[in-house]
Amino acid sequence: MTTPKLKDLDKIAREAERAVLDAASLDALKEARRAYLGRRGLVAQLFDQVPSLPAAQRPEAGRRLNELRDRLERTVTRREEELQGAAAGTRLAAEAIDVTLPGRRISLGRQHILTRTLEEIERIFFGMGFEIVDGAEVETDEFNFERLNMGRDHPARDTQDSFYLTDDLLLRTHTTVVDARVMVGRTPPMRVLNTGRCYRRDAPDATHMPVFHQADGFMVGEHITMADLKGVLAAFVRQMFGSEAVYRFVPSYFPFTEPSAELAVWFNGRWLELAGSGMFHPRVLEMAGIDPARYTAFAFGLGVDRPAMVRYGIPDIRLFWDNDLRLLEQF
Amino acid sequence: MKVLLSWLKEYVDVRHGIDELGERLPMLGIGVDSIERVRDDTVFDLEIAANRGDLMCHLGVARELAAATRTAARPPAGSPRTDSTTASDFVRVEVREPALCPRFTAALIVDVKVGPSPEWMARRLEACGVRSINNVVDVTNYVMLELGQPMHAFDYDLVQDGRLVVRLAAPGERLTTLDGVDRTLDPQTLVVADAGRAAGIAGIIGGAHTEIRASTRRVLLEAASWHPPLIRRTSKRLGVRTESGARFERGIDTGAVLSASLRAQQLIQEVAGGRVLSGTLDVYPSPQPKRQVQLAWPSVARLLGTAVGQADGVAILRSLGCQVQEGDENLVVTVPSFRRDVERVEDLVEDVARHYGYERIPEHMPVEETALASRAPVLEAERMVRGVLIRAGLTEALTVSLTTPAVLDGLRLPADHPWRSMVPLRNPLIEDHTHLRTTLLPGLLQVARVNVSRRVTDAQIFELGRTFHPSGTSVAERRRLALLMTGRVLRGAWNVPPEVAMTSYFHLKGAVESLLHELRVDGAAFAAAPVPWLHPARGATMSLDGRTVGTLGELHPEVAAAYDLPSSVHVAELDLEALLQRANFLPQFVPLPRFPAVRRDLAAIIADDVPAAEVERLIAEAGGSLLASVELFDVYTGPPVPAGHRNLAYALSFRSSERTLSAEEVDAAVRRITDTLTRRLRAKIRE
Repeated sequence: MTTPKLKDLDKIAREAERAVLDAASLDALKEARRAYLGRRGLVAQLFDQVPSLPAAQRPEAGRRLNELRDRLERTVTRREEELQGAAAGTRLAAEAIDVTLPGRRISLGRQHILTRTLEEIERIFFGMGFEIVDGAEVETDEFNFERLNMGRDHPARDTQDSFYLTDDLLLRTHTTVVDARVMVGRTPPMRVLNTGRCYRRDAPDATHMPVFHQADGFMVGEHITMADLKGVLAAFVRQMFGSEAVYRFVPSYFPFTEPSAELAVWFNGRWLELAGSGMFHPRVLEMAGIDPARYTAFAFGLGVDRPAMVRYGIPDIRLFWDNDLRLLEQF
Repeated sequence: MKVLLSWLKEYVDVRHGIDELGERLPMLGIGVDSIERVRDDTVFDLEIAANRGDLMCHLGVARELAAATRTAARPPAGSPRTDSTTASDFVRVEVREPALCPRFTAALIVDVKVGPSPEWMARRLEACGVRSINNVVDVTNYVMLELGQPMHAFDYDLVQDGRLVVRLAAPGERLTTLDGVDRTLDPQTLVVADAGRAAGIAGIIGGAHTEIRASTRRVLLEAASWHPPLIRRTSKRLGVRTESGARFERGIDTGAVLSASLRAQQLIQEVAGGRVLSGTLDVYPSPQPKRQVQLAWPSVARLLGTAVGQADGVAILRSLGCQVQEGDENLVVTVPSFRRDVERVEDLVEDVARHYGYERIPEHMPVEETALASRAPVLEAERMVRGVLIRAGLTEALTVSLTTPAVLDGLRLPADHPWRSMVPLRNPLIEDHTHLRTTLLPGLLQVARVNVSRRVTDAQIFELGRTFHPSGTSVAERRRLALLMTGRVLRGAWNVPPEVAMTSYFHLKGAVESLLHELRVDGAAFAAAPVPWLHPARGATMSLDGRTVGTLGELHPEVAAAYDLPSSVHVAELDLEALLQRANFLPQFVPLPRFPAVRRDLAAIIADDVPAAEVERLIAEAGGSLLASVELFDVYTGPPVPAGHRNLAYALSFRSSERTLSAEEVDAAVRRITDTLTRRLRAKIRE
C-alpha cells in the first residue's frame, strides 16, 4: 500500500467514511477503524506528514485532519450502535414464537344457572332489607298445608300433589312453608325471604319436573298493605328485568292469601308468570300466633325454573337437570 | 272451562271487543288460556280458580262482566208449564246421608220424545267440548254449562219402584257406569240408588242401566248438591274426572238447585216435548241462611293501601249480587248463596279490589320499623364453598334428589352400608324416583355419563346439596358436597405433559385442599383406605379429629365401567356440615415476617411404603419452631434409587420472628431433621 498524501485528503475522507459505513459486522467495523483511526492508521500517517509542510500550511492541515478524525470517530460510533442493535435483533429473532397458537386455559368453573338465579333473587330482596333464611325440605303436613289454610279436603291440594314419606311427613310442595315456620314465636315486624327446592308429584316433561325451585318472601307489620306488596314486587321486576320492564298484577286465588294476586312480566311478546302473592289470610296469621287485628302481612312465592327458562330461552326444563357442560358453559 | 261469547251475551251486554275482553278477564281474576273462533262464535278457554265454583258456568262469568260496569246480569227464565198430576205420586226420594247431600231434587217429565238435540244446542255444547248425546241428556249438560248445576236424567221406567235413595254403597256393590266401566264400589262411595241397586255415583257419573235411551218416555230428573270434599275424594279414589265432579268439588249454589231444575224442565219441554209433573220433590232439610259479613269500610284501605270510594265499593258489591245495608262506614253485607267462597272481610275486600282494579293500587315501598338485612350463616357458608370450588375450576351441577336404591348397586356398596338406609316415598310416581338420595355421587356419575356419551369428556363438576336419612320416625337432612373430575383441566394443552394437563387424584385432592384452606379448616388427615367405589390402591379417606368426613380417589374400574366412564374419573364426597363446623370465617391477622427466611433443600431416600404425610409430620416435629414451611418439590423413583424406595426432595424454610437466623442454628435444625428421618425411617439422606 502506498503512503497516503495530504493532497488526497478529501478522497481519503470519502473512502474512510465509506469503509466505516459499509462494515457489515462488528469485526469488519473494528478492522476499518484500525485501518483509518488506529495507531498506525491512515489518519495517523497523514498527521506524521504535517511537520514536513511549509510552516504557513501546517495549521490549516492540522485543523482539517482533526476534523476528519472526529468525524470518522462519530461515524464509527454510530455504525457500531447500528451493528450492535442488529446483532441483538438476530438473536431475539431466533426466539420467535407463533403467537397464533392456542392459549393455555385453565378451565373456569361456573355456577349452575338455577342457583345463580336464586342468588340473584336473594340479592335483590336482601337489598330491600329482607332477612334471608333457610328451611327444611322434609316438612309436616301440618305446616305445608294446614297452617297455610289448606285443610285435608282443600281443592288446592290437587294442584300440589305431594310425595309423602310417612302419614305426616312429606317433601315440601312450596317454600311458603318456611314462612309459616319462621313466623311462629316471632314478634313483628318481619321481612323474610327463603329460596330452595320444592317437590310435586309431576311426571318429568318439557315444562314439569318433580323437583323445582321457589323463592318465598313475606312481610308482617302494623301497616302492611297490597300497595306495599305491589311496590316491593315492582321493584323486584325492575331489578330483575330492567327498569323498563312491564308487569301485570292481577287477581288470583291462593288458600293462604286474601286478597290474592298474580304477578307476570311482559317478556318476548307474552306474559311470563312470575309469582303468586297476596295478603296473608288472617287464619294463617292466627295459626302462627300473630294477631290479625293488629298486624297485616303480604307474602309472595316466586317461580324460579320456568321464568329462568323463558329468560334464557331454554326450551325444556329437563335441560337444567341434564347438566350438559356445553349448556352450563353458555351462562 | 270454555265459554261462548254469544252465550254470555244472553245474560250481559258485552261492550268490549274480543281482544279487549281477553285482556279484561284476567284483570277480574279469570285467566284466559286461549281465544278461538268457532263458526260465527268466539270460544274463550278460561282458567277458573279453585274457590270460584260459581264461575264454572256462563251465568257466573256474565255476572263478573256485568259487575265490571256496575250492572247486574240477567239470569235465564226457568218456568216450565206444569201438569196437574203431581210428581210425588210417582217418585219417592230418600236421603240417608244428609251431611253429604244437603239438597236433592227430583222432577218427572212424561211423554218425552228422545231424539237428537236442535242444532243450536248441539253446536253450543260441542263448542264447549261436550259431546251431544240426545235432547234430554243434552239439556242437563246445557244447564250445567249455563247455570253451573250438574244434573242427571234417569229413565223413570228403569228405576225400580220410582225410588231414589241417597246412601253409601254396600261393600262389593257393583255398578256399570256411563263410561262403560264395571266398578266394584266400597262403603266410602256415596251412590244414588233405586229401590234395589246403585244407579249412579253421587255427583260424578251415572249408571248405565238407568240411562236415557231412544225408548225413554218418562224422564226422572235429578238435581242435587253434594258435599265438595266427598266428591273430591271419590273422584280421586276412582280416578274419574267429569265436568259434573269438577263443579261439585268446588261447590255449587245449593240455594239455586231447584231453580236450575226448573230451567232444565222447561228446556226439556222445549226440545223433547212432554209434560212436567207439578211439585218437584225437594229434600232440603236444613237450608243455609245467607251469610252476613260486617264490613267496616276503613278495612278496605287497611288491606289495599289505597282508599276506594265507599259509594263505588257498595255498587261493586251490589252488582256482584250482595245485599248491602249501609250505616256510615259500617256495612252489613249479605252474600249471595252462589258465593260459597265469601266468608269474611278479606274476601269482600278482594271482590272490591278486583272490580276497582288491581292496576289502580299504587306501588308503595313499605314503611315499617326495619331490621338489618341478613343471610343465614349456613347460606353464607354455602355460597362461599360454591365460590371456592368455582374458582378452583369446577362447574356446579344440580341433580334430582329423588332416586332409587338400584343406583347404589353400581357403587359396589356392601349390603350394610349406611347409604343403603334410604327413605322411601309412600307414593312414588315413576320407578326411577322411589327414594330420597343418601349420597350425591350417583347423581354426579350420571352427569359424567351423559356428558361423556355426548363426547364432552372434560368434566370438572361439583354438587352441593342435601341428602336424606332415616332418623327414628323422622328424616334427617344433611348437607353434602361431591366433586368429580375427569379429562383435561387445561385447554390448549399442546406440548403439555399429560400429568399436568389431565385430571388426576392430585388435582382432586388439590381442589379439596383449596376448599379446606379457604374455610381455614386445618388438621385434615388423608389416609389410604379401601372405599368400595374407589380404586383399591388409589382411594383415601379424609378425617377431622379422628372422624372420617369424606372420601376421595380414583373411581373403581368396575364402577367406571358400570357408568360407561373412562378409567380415569376421580370423585370425592364430603360431609359439608362437618367442614363448616370446623371452619373459621374470621381469620386473624398474622404479622408479616420481618426477618429473612433461610432455605435448605433436603433429599431423602425412603422406603416407598412410608406415606409422604408421615415424612412431613416427622420433619415438622423435628424441625421445631424455627421451621416455617416444608414444601415437597420432587418425588423420584428409579436408578440410582434402590427398588422399593423413592427419593423425596423438600424445600425447608427456616425463620424466626425475632432475629435473623445464623447458619449454625439452621444447620442444627436440619441435622435434627436428618437424624430423625434416618433413625425413624431409615432414610438415606442425599448430600
